[in-house]
Amino acid sequence: MSDLLANLALGFSVAAAPMNIAFCLLGALVGTLVGVLPGIGTVATVAMLLPITFGLPPVGALIMLAGFYYGAQYGGSTTSILVNIPGEASSVVTCLDGHQMAKNGRAGAALSIAAIGSFFAGCVATVLVAALGAPLTSLALLFGPAEYFALMVLGLIFAVVLAKGSILKAVAMIILGLLLSMVGSDLETGAGRMTFDIAELSDGIGFANVAMGLFGFAEIIRNLEMSSESRDIINAKVSGLMPTRKDLIDSSGAIARGTVLGSILGILPGGGALVASFAAYTFEKRISKTPKMFGHGAIQGVAAPEAANNAAAQTSFIPLLTLGIPPNAVMALMVGAMTIHGIVPGPQVMVKQPELFWGMIASMWLGNLMLVIINLPLVGLWVSLLRVPYRLLFPSIIVFCCIGIFSINNAPTDVLIAAVFGLIGYWLVKHDFEPAPLVLAFVLGPLMEENLRRAMLIARGDATVFLTRPISGVLLAISLILLILAMLPMISKRRDEVFVE
Amino acid sequence: MAEGAKSSATGGGILAKIRGPRDFFGGLALIIVALLAFWASSNLPGQQGFAFGPGTGPRIFASVLLFIGLIIAGTGLIVKGPPLDTFAIRGPAYVMLAILIFAGTIRGIRLDLAGIPIRIPAFGMVFATFVSFMVSLFGSKEFRLVESLIAAVGMTIFCVVLFVYLLGLPFQLWPMFF
Repeated sequence: MSDLLANLALGFSVAAAPMNIAFCLLGALVGTLVGVLPGIGTVATVAMLLPITFGLPPVGALIMLAGFYYGAQYGGSTTSILVNIPGEASSVVTCLDGHQMAKNGRAGAALSIAAIGSFFAGCVATVLVAALGAPLTSLALLFGPAEYFALMVLGLIFAVVLAKGSILKAVAMIILGLLLSMVGSDLETGAGRMTFDIAELSDGIGFANVAMGLFGFAEIIRNLEMSSESRDIINAKVSGLMPTRKDLIDSSGAIARGTVLGSILGILPGGGALVASFAAYTFEKRISKTPKMFGHGAIQGVAAPEAANNAAAQTSFIPLLTLGIPPNAVMALMVGAMTIHGIVPGPQVMVKQPELFWGMIASMWLGNLMLVIINLPLVGLWVSLLRVPYRLLFPSIIVFCCIGIFSINNAPTDVLIAAVFGLIGYWLVKHDFEPAPLVLAFVLGPLMEENLRRAMLIARGDATVFLTRPISGVLLAISLILLILAMLPMISKRRDEVFVE
Repeated sequence: MAEGAKSSATGGGILAKIRGPRDFFGGLALIIVALLAFWASSNLPGQQGFAFGPGTGPRIFASVLLFIGLIIAGTGLIVKGPPLDTFAIRGPAYVMLAILIFAGTIRGIRLDLAGIPIRIPAFGMVFATFVSFMVSLFGSKEFRLVESLIAAVGMTIFCVVLFVYLLGLPFQLWPMFF
């Protein structure tokens, strides 16, 4: 316990340095600014803003990136409440009740409950990250290649189970992602794999390009199909930002439950903010005494998913910082950023660079505090931003995305690759394939293959090693059970219900 | 991956018998990707004793993908499913064109596409940003000239100030022909 406090104190001393506070504030602000734009999710936001952090010192850069992440998350929920188009996928559920509340003239209450819920969840999750960091890091020492491989399999299975739509299609996306991740030079022999002799592919397909294509460009193309009339912005002035005592009492339970659910789902690889908000919303609806209120402006329907997605956003740092495994697409971008700054994510970060590790954790809390303080007064600004017609907004987003991708490697071909993935993403959505599992598999692919090959080599080609080593055996057994459960007709029917809502 | 787009036009014949076209063509595309992966990794050495070769991974996953693709396509053939969604042409076309222009002009490009050399000189960031902004505007049905020009100029200035002056990224601003 005293260790934890000492560590947090170290963290706050780093995070409270004036420069770092400035990076944190700037990150949260810019993240919100971009996240507010309709149709740009957290992944596209972070990918787009990545180049901004290149020139900063490592701690500052990571603090700022984390700020982009939860800023974008928060901006997304603002959009969901004020416009009926969610700013990003994890705010889809917030849209259901948040926008109804806004229509009933309670936009202020919805926004402030979302902020308060997020802040509470952020506080709890920050402590959780700090508390779990050390023990999980020591757990990481027990992990050999076989265990790492099994853990990543579990993560991918989670992504399959939690994706919407057909299980088989989600599995297909996982495999496609793994296959795509193998394009480029082989890790051990250096042989070019599936590169079609294109020099630009010999380093593999950049993750940022894939993410930007599937989540940025594809999203824009899809949004263009919608007519402008379907956008429904709240025109009345947003007032009454302070929630009433009744609002607070009504939503406190939902916030607490959302925080717990979100924290758990965030830690699991393959989980993340999107799933957390869906799960929290469904859970609230199920235990509510007045389920009919949901969808018609129930304050719990805003509080729970917002708390959950913020908690999940924070706790998803845990697997990255302790095991070096990115549990979702945003964390994969963080890996990229860390690599640029010469940091190898994994258990050694906490030991070798405690300022970085604890500074980042402390800055998460500060960032959440700033979101509450700066964003509520700035609601007017976000509203006017939302009034910019989409016909002018989307070209700006495209140009910005292009510059963002180009600047990572100064490579025009990266922009072309992203464009190709934009078309692929559009096609996938039209055929009911989910891009999210593909991206996760793409991220985990190289790590998985490396560990698989290493494990097989150590075991002298004996594949049973994955089952005979206790930790990996248990992880694989859980994966199998999950997959079977998800395929059972009863559960899959219920799963559909959840996502149809 | 364009089979999906074409099929809605050709309604008769065998295609009419497909009961779940969305799944059928989805599965078909997976099969094609899997076969492509097999072909592309055919020159790679596979398993060598205990060790995986570079080709082992791609082949394993391509086989699984082929298998799943067959199931999905087969299901689409037999089980009644949703029809193909309509694909918009205008939006994607202009958006893609805008991105291509950006990629092609920002620092110039030298590519060999199937033996045909492509050489575009570097037009620089101001040109690339402005032109691709203007082109992508056409992706929306509601195009207004004056407003668009103002927005394009504004965005170009904003990007130059942000990326080149504030962030100090090494972008070339003006055209430079080699």
